[in-house]
Amino acid sequence: MEYVSPEGLRIDGRRPLEMRKLHAEMGVVAKADGSASFVMGNTKVIAAVYGPREVQNRSQQMSDQALVRCEYSMANFSTGDRMRKQKGDRRSTEISLVIRQTLEACILTHLMPRSQIDIYVQVLQADGGTRSACINAATLALADAAIPMRDIVTSCSAGYLNSTPLLDLNYVEDSAGGPDVTVGILPKMDKVTLLQMDSKLPIDIFENVMQLAIEGCKAVATYIQEILLENTKQLEYHRGV
Amino acid sequence: MALQEREEGLVTPGDVLGKAAEVRAGKGAYEHSGLIYASITGRSLTVSPSAESPDQRPTLEVMGLKAHGAVPEPGSIVIARVTKVMSRMASVDIMCVGFKSVSEKFTGTIRQQDVRATEIDKVDMHLSFRPGDTVRAIVLSLGDARAYYLSTAKNELGVISAMSSAGETLVPISWTEMQCPLTGQIEQRKVAKVGS
Repeated sequence: MEYVSPEGLRIDGRRPLEMRKLHAEMGVVAKADGSASFVMGNTKVIAAVYGPREVQNRSQQMSDQALVRCEYSMANFSTGDRMRKQKGDRRSTEISLVIRQTLEACILTHLMPRSQIDIYVQVLQADGGTRSACINAATLALADAAIPMRDIVTSCSAGYLNSTPLLDLNYVEDSAGGPDVTVGILPKMDKVTLLQMDSKLPIDIFENVMQLAIEGCKAVATYIQEILLENTKQLEYHRGV
Repeated sequence: MALQEREEGLVTPGDVLGKAAEVRAGKGAYEHSGLIYASITGRSLTVSPSAESPDQRPTLEVMGLKAHGAVPEPGSIVIARVTKVMSRMASVDIMCVGFKSVSEKFTGTIRQQDVRATEIDKVDMHLSFRPGDTVRAIVLSLGDARAYYLSTAKNELGVISAMSSAGETLVPISWTEMQCPLTGQIEQRKVAKVGS
């Protein structure tokens, strides 16, 4: 099947180096300490953060740092066919672990000993790149909850089909069986915190694809920065500062 | 990374605020490899050092806009509701710290020796508190894993509001007694001295 036409257009009309349209909102779950929704093209994700609060399971309490817990789940209606089991299956457990490790590295956990931070991410609409959208949404939700972090974490995926590196794969391109590289970075520190890949790639092409994904992450970071500043200005305006 | 025009003073996590040699990291900021970074989103402000402190560097803080719920600290005055009264201690639910209400439940304990300042070994807990009373207390310490340790051993600390067995709000008549306005019955409590 042809994923990149001879004119250089992908299935959804994008160019190979073009990301999908981004849209984010903060404060979407009123009860949570922090929350955000993140939309990348047709992939919609909601994240809610509760914390720092008292540890519920005493045996897991850490005396010198905060406990970070993360739960990833997909809504029944998020994919084409209605799903039966959306939580507790292997893929969800793996992605929960990946998101937790990525975010735990950037939260200043030593400032909140004996407490717990819960991050819940729910996929409302899945069209490829859910892992990245979840990390971006979780970052915004953590910033909304004013939890101290080293830097924001942004994530983006890239692939390689029809001998062309493609940025931000959607579901059809992802299911093509080609490589899918997901990268998470700390944009201001210029450090990589997450690197995952499916399938196989020769090492020189891998470097190109990874660089492309990092560029995508930086573009997401610029957008998230704008959203954070806009949200702060709104809060200040409402408080009459 | 390239920054678009940004309003002066607004920072996001990871923004460089200054050098560690010149400024100190305060609330909302942290130090790493000789630079001070912001850790939350908000407005950065500089606090000048006090004249006597040995470190004369100004402190850089980031003021966040989300208000976190209050947390009891040793020395803070709290308002609590009594939940359990036992022979040697009373359990309370802390509702307010200072003037702010708490966003999640905190448990406190008032031990027999902390109820009042005089004759502390002759204290009868049931003549000092009843379940449902509202008390003002001071936090002694963070206590054990289960509860904060509180004390009412001052004139202005103790029961500030209580209900009588008839269902009416009791009126304080001395530091040990409160009277029901409906039935005239006198009940024993460790009463707080309200007013100047």
